[in-house]
Amino acid sequence: MADEQAPRPPAPPAAPSAPSAHTGPPSGGYSGSSSGGHSGPPGRFGPGGGGPRPQGGRPSGPGGPAKRGKRNFVRKKKVCRFCVDKSDYIDYKRAEILAPFLQERGKILPRRMTGTCARHQRWLTVAIKRAQNIALLPFAAEL
Amino acid sequence: MEERQYDLIFICRPDTAEADVDKVIATLEHTATEKGAKIEKTEKWGRKRMAYRVHRLREGFYVYMVLRSSHGEVVKELERRLKVADPVMKYLTVRVDEELKRQDKLKRHREKRAARRPRKTVPSAVPSAAPAAAGGSEPAAAAS
Repeated sequence: MADEQAPRPPAPPAAPSAPSAHTGPPSGGYSGSSSGGHSGPPGRFGPGGGGPRPQGGRPSGPGGPAKRGKRNFVRKKKVCRFCVDKSDYIDYKRAEILAPFLQERGKILPRRMTGTCARHQRWLTVAIKRAQNIALLPFAAEL
Repeated sequence: MEERQYDLIFICRPDTAEADVDKVIATLEHTATEKGAKIEKTEKWGRKRMAYRVHRLREGFYVYMVLRSSHGEVVKELERRLKVADPVMKYLTVRVDEELKRQDKLKRHREKRAARRPRKTVPSAVPSAAPAAAGGSEPAAAAS
């Protein structure tokens, strides 16, 4: 806006008739539409959107905690163990640190179960698969 | 070409004599040096229980080596030797230099950030400590 307004004053003194006709309509149209657009939508959407939103949002807000309270069940946030340890590399040779991420039958546990972050889960799967290949970890548990 | 690093693990039959295992290691070292590679480390992990049966055996004698080479031909040759060697049941070669490089990079990044962190936390700690109390600012800052 400031940039548009700045060129406008110099233009009329330099060439009053033709440039003003050129610059006038676009600038006028621009400023008119922009000012109308800016003033209009915020006026309509701002209060309109702001009005219903608190009403719609608030009931759902207390609804969540209330439900949680009824169930008496608070989920503990799982933290990626490798992030806690600040490990930059997951060693496939250490089967004992990989073992907790396997199910009893030897499946790799999903992220949602262990809370491992995406990056470490990626490294973890590679490490587990390597360990499996050298018989440090089972492909499938034997019966 | 820059040097690559490999982990080489092989499992011998549990009933092989230690001397035979040493013989396998010696031949591998010989082949490696012949092909221009360098064996940096050889570790005998000893008899370990395997996670599943290999050749109907539950245990195996694990040997771990670290190999440095500027070309992959060595790995091919070593694996061929391992395949031929009688006591060897299973082997695995993994290229690790890229991951070690990544580890290094992340470590450096972490240290750099740790060095920068005190400056970042101090401004955030000051506003929180200021409203609490003038006298209690130090414990609050320490806690945060």
